[in-house]
Amino acid sequence: MYPAKFDYYRANSVEEAVKLLAENSDAKLLAGGHSLIPAMKLRLTQPALLIDIGKIDSLKNIKANGSLEIGALATHARVAASADVKKWFPALANAASLIGDQQVRNFGTIGGNIAHADPASDPPTVLIAAGATIHVRGASGTRAIAAEDFFVDLFTTALEPGEVVTKIEIPNLSGRKSAYAKMSHPASRYAIVGVCAVLSMEGDTCKEARLVVGGAVAHATRLSEAEAVLKGKKLDAAALKAAADAAIAQVGDDAMGDITAPADYRRAMVGQYLQRAIQSALG
Amino acid sequence: MSLIGKSVIRTDAVGKVTGKTPYPSDVNFEDQLWMKILFSARSHARIVSIDTSEALAYPGVIAVFTAVDVPQNSYGLIMPDQPVLCGPGSDQAGADIVRCYMDNVALVVAETEEIAAAARDLIKVEYEDLPAVYDPYEAMKDGAPQLHLNTPKNILCHYRIRKGDMGSAWQQADVVVEGEFHTAYQEHAFLQPEAGIGYIDDEGRVTVLVAGQWTHEDQEQIAHALSLPLEQVRVIYPAVGGAFGGREDMSVQIVLALAAYKLRRPVKIIWSREESIKYHHKRHPISIKAKWGARKDGKLVAMEAEVVGDAGGYAYTSTKVLGNTNMMVAGPYEIPNAHIDTYAVYTNNIPTGAFRGFGGPQGAFAAEGMMNRLADALGMDPVEVRRVNLLTDDKLAIVGTPMPKGVTIGPVVEKCAEESGYWQRKNDTFERLPVEQPADPAKRRGVGFACAFKNVGFSFGAPENCWGTIEIHGDATIEKVVVRHAAAEVGQGTHTVIMQMAAEAVGVPMEKVELIASDTAFTDNSGSVSASRMTFMAGNAIRGAAEIAVQKWKDEDRPAVGVYQYRPPKTTPYDPKTGRSEPNFAYGYVAQIVEVEVDIETGHVDLIRVISANDVGRAVNPQQVKGQIEGAVVQAQGYAIMENLISMEGRILNPYLSTYLIPTVYDIPKEVKSVILEYADPIGPWGARGMAEMPFLPLAPAIADAIHDATGIWIDRLPLTPDRVVKTLRENGIGVAFS
Repeated sequence: MYPAKFDYYRANSVEEAVKLLAENSDAKLLAGGHSLIPAMKLRLTQPALLIDIGKIDSLKNIKANGSLEIGALATHARVAASADVKKWFPALANAASLIGDQQVRNFGTIGGNIAHADPASDPPTVLIAAGATIHVRGASGTRAIAAEDFFVDLFTTALEPGEVVTKIEIPNLSGRKSAYAKMSHPASRYAIVGVCAVLSMEGDTCKEARLVVGGAVAHATRLSEAEAVLKGKKLDAAALKAAADAAIAQVGDDAMGDITAPADYRRAMVGQYLQRAIQSALG
Repeated sequence: MSLIGKSVIRTDAVGKVTGKTPYPSDVNFEDQLWMKILFSARSHARIVSIDTSEALAYPGVIAVFTAVDVPQNSYGLIMPDQPVLCGPGSDQAGADIVRCYMDNVALVVAETEEIAAAARDLIKVEYEDLPAVYDPYEAMKDGAPQLHLNTPKNILCHYRIRKGDMGSAWQQADVVVEGEFHTAYQEHAFLQPEAGIGYIDDEGRVTVLVAGQWTHEDQEQIAHALSLPLEQVRVIYPAVGGAFGGREDMSVQIVLALAAYKLRRPVKIIWSREESIKYHHKRHPISIKAKWGARKDGKLVAMEAEVVGDAGGYAYTSTKVLGNTNMMVAGPYEIPNAHIDTYAVYTNNIPTGAFRGFGGPQGAFAAEGMMNRLADALGMDPVEVRRVNLLTDDKLAIVGTPMPKGVTIGPVVEKCAEESGYWQRKNDTFERLPVEQPADPAKRRGVGFACAFKNVGFSFGAPENCWGTIEIHGDATIEKVVVRHAAAEVGQGTHTVIMQMAAEAVGVPMEKVELIASDTAFTDNSGSVSASRMTFMAGNAIRGAAEIAVQKWKDEDRPAVGVYQYRPPKTTPYDPKTGRSEPNFAYGYVAQIVEVEVDIETGHVDLIRVISANDVGRAVNPQQVKGQIEGAVVQAQGYAIMENLISMEGRILNPYLSTYLIPTVYDIPKEVKSVILEYADPIGPWGARGMAEMPFLPLAPAIADAIHDATGIWIDRLPLTPDRVVKTLRENGIGVAFS
């Protein structure tokens, strides 16, 4: 289908984008367009105005300096290839490399991705596990939102109307072990189940585990029960199995299902991919 | 000079690769109109009334057609049991009833596609719901809703095979195995969704330019529905974007002809992918209860089977498909005692019909499943247990008669084992070598085996013949050779192969050959591109025509024209009581060995390697043969593992390629080793057999065998999706238990 008619405006700065958003209640931001345009073609959304922020170069930078800062317009391909990301938080580089196909990764942006908040998307899962902060700007100024609080529901975030995601900040994770494990949908490559593990280890013992699941549930969610199970434990097979059981129990009836992967299967796979993520993080 | 056995470049390659070749959707006329079809909104209902007034009043709408507008409101490839348009007011009994969601109710013709679609949504149809039935076993019960007159218990056909003496047979068996096998729907998923254009040609003929598999059959069905003499109907196939049996039955042919006939203007239609998946037939889901017995030495003594296939709302080719399954369910083996009952049953589901293999894959899934289970129960090598039982020229087939000469399944099985690298031959015995296991404890590898046979050409007494014409033009020397032939080029390369064979038969280089093809106005009936028949049938027709033309050339006729109709040896239908018959005139033989890796935690089955040994008689164009083998393997992989069409109360829930998953580059095997064997068929042209279906047949049972080898568990229900595999393994104590 063709999208409904809309107006188009290119913003040359974040300020201009914020101003246009404030002036037009029925406007949407266009970044890479890989979530928005399909939704418009299916007429799931019919904005009157598109504000193209894709040419704002200041939002494209990736830099590591005390913390890792990723501009909202960094493409998945750039995130996947970035030496800083690979060094700072390799699970994110890996997750970005598993999104869609090369063409999608060349256009889709990390900011657009998280603002869209598709439940089967990969970045929300790893960003919550990293304890990332989402920086946004609106008409009344800037604010910082913890990734964990950012994703509220299916396609729903903590963004207020008129706010623009500007950058994602990932704290220093040195000394942590991390990995992302994912079962991809065979056609879309979206996550049927994706689990990210970020572990603080003292020898064989887990000081702290941050475990997050995406794909199987309405929005990326901390597996707090499993995290509690592993805290202070030696990460042997029994501990992993107990964490998997706790994760499965926590997901419970929240597991989503479809024709490719029914809910009971996805729920069971949360346990498997939790163990795979931890094993992969431990190397 | 020999062009036979040469991988000449396909004559259609450049046009297709550069995008210049027109497919039906690419053809446009200046004054064309567009059509949209209103399909049934019920699985079983009587249409009380259809109100088209609002649609007709919509600006840009030219006409709306309903059942009253169809001169003879019925069609169907083997029997005319389906209305062209369902609704009241037609003289066809029962035409006011819809029996499945793919029934057509009304046609809207408008200036644009958008207008036609908008107006279609304004048509009001009043339905009176009828009780519906979606399970063939339920449909066969007393008191089940009956879909068609004269079809009690909805049994469209029932075949029997009664061979030997079942009373004493089981007592001779040292080992008896039983199983219940369930195969699934499969969507053809050809690249090009249904499309076409209907118009009146320069000579006043109702003409349909469309994608199909048999021009002359389409012509007949259009003529029947429009009550026109055959010669006033013309069917043309441009390039066809894949078929696989999915274009054997009508889709847009009759409705386009009807609209063009009524309006005297070109009318075009293009189905969306969603329409294509929802509204053309599927491969039959078939349930098979089987029991096989053998002596300690592996020799089969008896088998029995009950085969039930869901035909859906209309017959399509179900009687023929299930006829094939009835025989294929016994495999390519000599079995002295057999008892088989096979049913095709009407339900209110989507109709089922032709699809590569034509009932053979479902039969092979059970037959090979039983043989592999017998091998396991006997502690015999799966190759060895076959060698004891395989058919030869001297043995009787399950239908009680000898096979056509040239039975080569024995050497095909042995070659497959030898070429696979998984077996070694010691003296005259085949032994399996152990397969290396991955370090990851979640991953288990296994190797599986299966073999099969597939008929070439129409079976069971169906009229079978093929026309071909060769014209030799020139004076002192041959300037060009024109071949006229109706074979549909559906992507399989038949036009290239026909030109190769024509050049060879006349003795000229291929550059001198011109082909006039696939137009009922200029070619005689060649039959369908189906049943792996066209190389065999066209080759023999062309040889016959060339012989006549070459003689006439010598006699100085200019142009020298040879017209020839090839008729293969006659076949006979099943005896209704015993099943005795001479079902086919030729076969191809195939064996496959696969290696899979099963993830026992997630249920993913990764098809790593496939060795397919195929007796093709003679590979006229080896590159095309290899393409067919690899294509069949990948399509069968989809059928076996991925393709999961969900039908709920007759409605298809996943009519998109995002939800109906077919294999992509991410999924296909790392290696398909095509072993092309050339044991000549005694009556095939240059020895060629048909081969395009047979590599499909053994793959699913070979994969099931490999999963058993990897895990110790038999899974007898397709498709082998991750959730099904992981659940079955866990029920059997494999993998990690979870709540």
